[in-house]
Amino acid sequence: MSGLNPVYGGVLAAAVLFGLPVSLRAELESVPEPVQDILFESCFECHDGDSEKGGINLDQVEIPWGDPGAVAQWYKVFKVIDHGHMPPPDKPQLSEEKKKELLAFLDAELREHTSIGGTLPRRLNRLEYQNTIRTTFRMDEFELPIGFPKDNREHGFDTVSEALVLSPPLLAAYHEVAGQIADELFPPARTLPGPTLRRAGVEDLVLSFSAATVHGDALRLACSSTDSIMRSSTWPSKIEVTTSGMYRVTIDASTFRPRDDSSLTLEVRARDVAASDRSSTKVHRLLKEFEVTSESPETFSLEAELYEGQTLLFRWADAELTHDPKVFAPLLKKRFEEDPRFLAAWQEMLFPKRKGRAPVPSLRGRNGWEIYQRHLNDPNLDLSDATMDSRYTKEILKLAQDPGAVRNLGDSLTYEYHEFGPALELHGVTIEGPFSAVDGPKDIRRTSIREYSFGKRLETDTDEAYARRGISGFLTRLFRRPVDSETIAAFLQVAKDHWEAGHSFDEGMHLVLRQALVSPRFLLRETSPGKLDQHDLASRIAYFLTRYPPTSQIVHFARAGKLSDPEVLRSEIERLIPTSPSAPMIKDFAGQWLHTRLLPEIMPDASFDFTVEEVELARIEAERFFAKMIEENRPMTDWIAPDFMLTSRRFAEENYGYPPKGGKLAGASVTYRSDHMKIERLQIDPKGIHGGLLGQSATMMATANGVDTQPVLRGVWVLENILGMPTPPVPQNVPALTPDVQGTTTPRELLAAHTKSADCASCHRHIDPIGFALENFDPVGRWRENWPETGVPIDSTGVLPDGTKIAGYLDFKQWLVSNISLVSECLAEKLMIYATGRIPSYAEQVEIKGIVDRIEAEKGGFRDLLVALIESETFQTR
Amino acid sequence: MEAKAPSFFQSSVDRRFFLRSAVATIALPSLEAFADEKKQPESGTARNFVAIGAYLGWHQKAFYPAATGRGYEMPRTLKPIEAYRDQFTIFSGLDHRAPNGHGAWINFLSGKAPGTYSLDQQIADQVGGKSRFASIELATGVGEGAKTMSFTKQGVGLPTIMRPSVFYKQLFVSKEDRERAEYLIKSGKSSLDSVLGDAKRFQSTLPKRDREKLDEYFDSFRAVEKRMDRQLATLDEPVPETGYQLPSYDPITPNLQMEAGSIMYDLMVLALESGSTHVLSLFLDGLGQVFAIDGETLKAGYHALSHHGNDPEMIEDLVAIERAHIDCFAGFLRQLSEKKDPTGKTLLDDTVILLGTGMGDASRHSNANLPTLVAGGGFNHGQHLAIDAKKPDAPLLGDLYLTLMERMGIEQESFSNASRNLNQLFS
Repeated sequence: MSGLNPVYGGVLAAAVLFGLPVSLRAELESVPEPVQDILFESCFECHDGDSEKGGINLDQVEIPWGDPGAVAQWYKVFKVIDHGHMPPPDKPQLSEEKKKELLAFLDAELREHTSIGGTLPRRLNRLEYQNTIRTTFRMDEFELPIGFPKDNREHGFDTVSEALVLSPPLLAAYHEVAGQIADELFPPARTLPGPTLRRAGVEDLVLSFSAATVHGDALRLACSSTDSIMRSSTWPSKIEVTTSGMYRVTIDASTFRPRDDSSLTLEVRARDVAASDRSSTKVHRLLKEFEVTSESPETFSLEAELYEGQTLLFRWADAELTHDPKVFAPLLKKRFEEDPRFLAAWQEMLFPKRKGRAPVPSLRGRNGWEIYQRHLNDPNLDLSDATMDSRYTKEILKLAQDPGAVRNLGDSLTYEYHEFGPALELHGVTIEGPFSAVDGPKDIRRTSIREYSFGKRLETDTDEAYARRGISGFLTRLFRRPVDSETIAAFLQVAKDHWEAGHSFDEGMHLVLRQALVSPRFLLRETSPGKLDQHDLASRIAYFLTRYPPTSQIVHFARAGKLSDPEVLRSEIERLIPTSPSAPMIKDFAGQWLHTRLLPEIMPDASFDFTVEEVELARIEAERFFAKMIEENRPMTDWIAPDFMLTSRRFAEENYGYPPKGGKLAGASVTYRSDHMKIERLQIDPKGIHGGLLGQSATMMATANGVDTQPVLRGVWVLENILGMPTPPVPQNVPALTPDVQGTTTPRELLAAHTKSADCASCHRHIDPIGFALENFDPVGRWRENWPETGVPIDSTGVLPDGTKIAGYLDFKQWLVSNISLVSECLAEKLMIYATGRIPSYAEQVEIKGIVDRIEAEKGGFRDLLVALIESETFQTR
Repeated sequence: MEAKAPSFFQSSVDRRFFLRSAVATIALPSLEAFADEKKQPESGTARNFVAIGAYLGWHQKAFYPAATGRGYEMPRTLKPIEAYRDQFTIFSGLDHRAPNGHGAWINFLSGKAPGTYSLDQQIADQVGGKSRFASIELATGVGEGAKTMSFTKQGVGLPTIMRPSVFYKQLFVSKEDRERAEYLIKSGKSSLDSVLGDAKRFQSTLPKRDREKLDEYFDSFRAVEKRMDRQLATLDEPVPETGYQLPSYDPITPNLQMEAGSIMYDLMVLALESGSTHVLSLFLDGLGQVFAIDGETLKAGYHALSHHGNDPEMIEDLVAIERAHIDCFAGFLRQLSEKKDPTGKTLLDDTVILLGTGMGDASRHSNANLPTLVAGGGFNHGQHLAIDAKKPDAPLLGDLYLTLMERMGIEQESFSNASRNLNQLFS
């Protein structure tokens, strides 16, 4: 599991990277004798200068507290002793008193020698970079190229400064993207090609589904459905306009057996060739409507703007046939009433020999039509049921109410119209042009993006005046802080030099843009050292809560220097705090903290009968839950034991045994995906099995592998992500223990090996009991009593790190509720790492713990905690 | 050539490979195939990999020969490649044990978990560095949205190129594009001083520890500059003249799928021949488009036909479409077999081609028993290898993929849920 980071290694690595020169390693302080005695008695067997087990030597008379490496090492010592990982279980244990004394000494020293702050200037990660481009240029659909380098993760998050390195491939990618963005705003000049005439005969018009068929030299249309063009329309797919401009279009059209000599409306629209054939008629721009009245071909012509990438789209707009059941059902009824042979042939088609109903999908299109036609032409066609009160008639008319059936049957009926009319006929199309250039949607969008980024050009503006004003405003937003005149001058000079070398105004701006987008002022965020200045504070808050750069109000307050006003700050935090499950911060943070990012990769084994939709529902549940915790400022204990869950009723029934036995299942009658996916707030017993972080599919799936459960992985995961007691990395040269549930050997028996070796036991005595407490959850989070295959009842008893004996998951859940501050501290630390991009120092941990304790004392909820963290010194210091 | 299965066949093959022996008349795989069973398969002898996948699958009864082994009668769908029967092998009974449904189609190259690290990308990550493009993803007939069958290691779906003109432009940069690239690099370099000057000024405002972080930026920047110089040098190389004539339009709407297909295959040959890439994938989408094949308009759209409900006439038309796909594919095989390197080795022998699908039976949305064909790559071809998936430990499609990867010189322990290979059966 990639997310389970070796935390201790990380702290050391961080310390090394801090790279303070030796000269600063002053502050040598001697270790008091009582402490030396404790270390001597309990630690030196393995961690003196000779053994240095794990590279740890505690045999130091003096500690150089100025050395970050020393701080990191002693912080680690503090943690392993506090969490009870050391001394190992087979060695003499520390008495409570001695443990207290040792920890008190370390606590005092670490408080004194660690400080708040220390994040290196941090580059925007992929998500932040993408969102910053979107915001700065108002390019809402901007996506990074697929090959754009991925970010590394540190301590479980991709926002940590140490991991966000700048590399040559990354810089190259920045250059590449900068060019693409510059092209959007200042595209290279193009020339208008001369007009050409293109023709599309009947054979060049698209036949899609049953929308059209060809009869001799005519293509017939008979259906007016608007829901998707592929069911009603045709288009010349070999013609694609490459230059936006004015074009002349001609269409040869005629009527075919119109009813009552009425005119038929031919609708001409412009479609993007690349648009989906499933798109609705309405999204394509209407060019003109013609009334076609003659049964012999007539030429209709129009002049219209066609844009880059477009062709024409034709539909008979007032055809009586559509795929809408509200229209189709009465139409069919009318046809039945008018013609008993029509009715009898439909009955034969749908109820062949009256031996049950033919499968409707197989009647789709011409197949159904041919079956129908065969019966219609049969002189012995049985008319005995051809009455409106026949049960077959009624069944067909009932079927005609069902959208799915009508999609198929409408496709068959359209052939009847093509054959017998009425239908609209097309004989050929020409498109000639471009006669003049026009601004297509892309050009208009470009202009709007350009004016948003650089402002409007005034008539009185010289090139330089416009550029100076534009660059100054633009850089301020791009760099997310005021830009001094020297920097503006430097970028303006780039444009001026380029103009001087004979290039156009646009080319000069193109170059400025490319260069600004690779400037460290853009790529790095929060660069003011020490306490964040107003702009950097706005930036840190905005990127944390929204994952977007600061905009509008918070920028306004920062510029006015008001963000340090506690009331203003509080109101801005409240304004930006995410409460929607689709908020980028919630998806991103929860995805990394709870590993729900991994879900799409874990396709549960077929034996679990878990669908792709259910995997999606599991992720949705986790995100909804997280959002609800903020939105309703839920108490922290709700993370573990809430009285509600947020998922679809069907999902809860199938996976969580909801409602309790004896209740009524909704499942059987629910057919549509929309119902499967409808999320509800379901009331549950807070002391029950399901609900909360651990009682939901998402986390239990993410901590298994889709096939079987791995108690060790779950145990490690809970220790790291829920309890904040990460376990050190697995020692080298230890073979992985894969639970083999074959035969009578239970995972438990296998894992017992861990507790026999002292090397393993120091951690596994903490890991395994938690893993086993969760063994009742299968790899998709459903409850089970027995291990699969062997059917051996699951033994989920164990002893927790603090000595509490548990009989299973429900006891563990209760224990978590009673020790909720552990969970709160863990989550608070994760949020802080994610927001500040650094691993909290000891002093920062102390502040975080203080905040958690205060919120708990004030009976505050998760939202209160989140706000308090942002208001902390740790958050507000670089 | 039909024969009753002799005892030799039963004992020696059942040992490992579980050929479908239950079939009443079973053709015997040639003895040569078993004679050199101990021979190590040649590793790394093919340089190119091509994957072709059909969204609506391949109708099994028209894709699988009735008989197994060699000398089978060419099934209807594959008739257009009859002439190359010694250049390909048909596999039946293989799949990834993946979930069913259209949504899980992408199991084709991903294995059991749809949408994960796909075979072509695993290969591209190993061999792609040797060429200008690590891989190129193509598609025809895409009616809606962005579909793909190629996924990066991180599970990111790679967008496909649907326009032949875009593909061509990537391969053979035009004079205008070169001039533009040159302009961009040169103008960028000319203004570097002011930009780096400003960056230095920025660096000087930071505390010492941060300044070192900024050095990372400057180092990377210098590396990019060097890269630009190299690019400028290559821009001066002459543009190859292919003489290939593209149509005046891009056949991207679904009804022009066959036209798009044959052009894509032509360009794929050019891409491999010019060494622009060693890994290609071609996704054949399917929607409601109604094809006219041999002047005959088919009964219904492609997708509707795939839900044939075993109606023989619908199947007839569906097979006509699939045969048209194979007809395009025949042009690919022909061109690859005609091109030879100086040693006389054909481009086909140098190219491992996997043609298949993630959908076993579109009519039922079943993703079991995926029709699969492997061509080229210098394998000992000419057979229909039928796997009995019901046998415990029956090989998986991923096992075949491991064999294909080995041919590309990639030795890998496992692919998705597969951890063996088919070397003994197919080499």
